[in-house]
Amino acid sequence: MFWYKSWLDTRWRFLIAFAVLVCSAILTVLAYPKFLALLPSAMRVNLGGEIGRRVTETIQFERDYRGYIWVQSFRQNLTQLGTLFAELLGTGGLLPSGSKDTALFTMSLPASRNELLGTRAATGLIELGVLAFAPALVFPLLSPAVGQTFSAASAITHGACLFITWAVFFSLALLLSTIVAGVWIPALVAICVAFFLTAVDLVAGGTGRYSIFAVMSGEHYFRTGTLPWVGLVVSAAASAAMLYAAARNFARQDF
Amino acid sequence: MVDPFVIHTVELRKTYDGVEALRGLNLQVPAGSIFGFLGRNGAGKTTAMKVLLGMARPTSGDARVFGLRPASPDEGVDIRRRAAFVSEDKSLYDAMNVDAMIRFTASFFPRWRADLEQRYLRMFELPRHAPVKTLSRGMRTKLALLLALCRGAELLVLDEPSSGLDPASTEQVLQALVAHVADEGMTVFFSSHQIADVDQIADHVAIIDRGRVVVSGALDDLRRDYRRLRLVFDSDAPDAPFGAPGIAHVRRAGRVLTLLTTAGTEQVVDEARALAPASMDILPVTLKEIFLETVAVEE
Repeated sequence: MFWYKSWLDTRWRFLIAFAVLVCSAILTVLAYPKFLALLPSAMRVNLGGEIGRRVTETIQFERDYRGYIWVQSFRQNLTQLGTLFAELLGTGGLLPSGSKDTALFTMSLPASRNELLGTRAATGLIELGVLAFAPALVFPLLSPAVGQTFSAASAITHGACLFITWAVFFSLALLLSTIVAGVWIPALVAICVAFFLTAVDLVAGGTGRYSIFAVMSGEHYFRTGTLPWVGLVVSAAASAAMLYAAARNFARQDF
Repeated sequence: MVDPFVIHTVELRKTYDGVEALRGLNLQVPAGSIFGFLGRNGAGKTTAMKVLLGMARPTSGDARVFGLRPASPDEGVDIRRRAAFVSEDKSLYDAMNVDAMIRFTASFFPRWRADLEQRYLRMFELPRHAPVKTLSRGMRTKLALLLALCRGAELLVLDEPSSGLDPASTEQVLQALVAHVADEGMTVFFSSHQIADVDQIADHVAIIDRGRVVVSGALDDLRRDYRRLRLVFDSDAPDAPFGAPGIAHVRRAGRVLTLLTTAGTEQVVDEARALAPASMDILPVTLKEIFLETVAVEE
C-alpha cells in the first residue's frame, strides 16, 4: 500500500508533467507544416562564428522530418522540461517536514525504511518511464496527421535514452530528499546541478557524447543509428549509486 | 529469562545535535498496565517513544520492547507490527479520505479488527467519505485512535492523546481507551502533561524530567508512600537536617516546615517529633503534587 501513498504524494506533479510533455510533443508534430513554410527563409540566414555554425547545423538537421522532431523535441523540449520534471518527481515525502508532517505515522507502520524508500523510488521511476515513453510515442502515432512518418523503434530508443538519463536527476533529487526535508530545497539544489552541467556543456563548447544531455537527447543514435551505450551504462550506474546512497542515508535518519 | 516488562530501558541516552534529550532513562512498563508517562514539555517523552518504536536510534544504553531491540531494523519492524502509535500532532494523510486511510492502515496488519473498526466508526461518528484534511482536530484524533485500536496490537503507545482536545472530546477518547483496554487486555503506554488524564486512567506512572525518570511505580503505591508532613512551630521553623530516608523535599516558610516523603512516614515522624513542633499533620499527596514536587526538586 505504500504504492498508493507514493502515488498520492506525486500524482499532481506526474499528471502536470505528463500533460505538459505530451502536449509539447503533439504541438511539435502539428507545427511541422508551418515550420516547413518557414524553412526556406531560415536557410537563407547566414551567421558567422560558432553560433552561426550551430544554427546552420540545426537547420540542416531540420530539413527532414526526423531531424525536425529530434531537434525540436528530443534535443530541446523533452530534454529541458523532462530534466526539470524528473527532479520534481524525486523530491519530498521522506523526511519530516512542516506542521503537516505525516512521517511519524508512516514510520509507525510495520515496514522497513528500505521498503518505504524502495517503493517511493519505484513509483517515481515508473512515472518517469511513462513520462519518457508517452511523448516519444506521440511521434509515430500522430505523424501521419501531418503526412509524415516516424519510426516506432526510434521513438522507443529515444524514450529509453530519456528515461535512463532522467533517472539520474530523479535519483539525485531523491538522495537530496533523504538529506534535506521538504520538496523545494532538494528540487532547487537538483535544478542548480542541472544548470551547472548545462553551463559546463556550453562553456566547453559541447562535451559531445560525454554530456549527459547528449545521451538524453539520443544524439549519437540520431547521428549514427547506434545507441550511446557508454553514456547509458554510466547514467544507470550513477542512478543506482545515488539510490543506494539514499537508502543508506534514509536508514540512518532519526524521526 | 523472559522479561516481565513489555518495555524495558536501561540507561538509555539520546543526543540530538549535542542536546541530550534522554540522559540515562530507566523505564519498566509491566504487561497489561496502563502506564502514564508524565513530564513537562521537552522532558524527553516523545523522544523516548520514538526510540522505543525504532524511529530514532539511541546514542547509548539498551531499549527492549517485547524483548526486541527497536534499534535493529528487522526487530523494529516486528515491534511496530505488535504495537500501535498515535503521535501528538495526529498527522494523517490529507490526500486520503477516512475510508482510504482505514484501508491503507489495515493493509499492514493481518490481525486488523473489522468488528472494532465498525464499532469505533459509529462511536466516534467518523464520516467514511470525508477527506482527512477536512476533519477537525478532535475528529482527527478519533480517527488516529481508531487506526491504532483496530490493529490488534498488544501495545498502544500514545503521545499526548488528549492534546488540543476540548474536555468533552478528551473524556470520550479516554473512556474509549479504558473500555478498549478492559476488553482487549493490552498494554497502554501514554505520555501526557495533563496530570488529570493520567490520574483518571493510569495504574502505573513514571515522571520524567530532563531525560531521566525521577519517579516510577504503581499509582496506588505512590499514593500510599508519598506523604506530606506539615510541622508548625511556635517560632520560626528550625533549619535542622533530616536523616530519614525518602525525604524528597523540605520547605521552610516562617513557622511552617513542610516535608515530602516518598517511603512512608514512620522514621520521619520520629525525627520531626524531636524538633518539638507545636503541631504535626500527615497529609495525603495527589499525583499533581508529586509531579510538581519532584520536578521542582530537579530544578
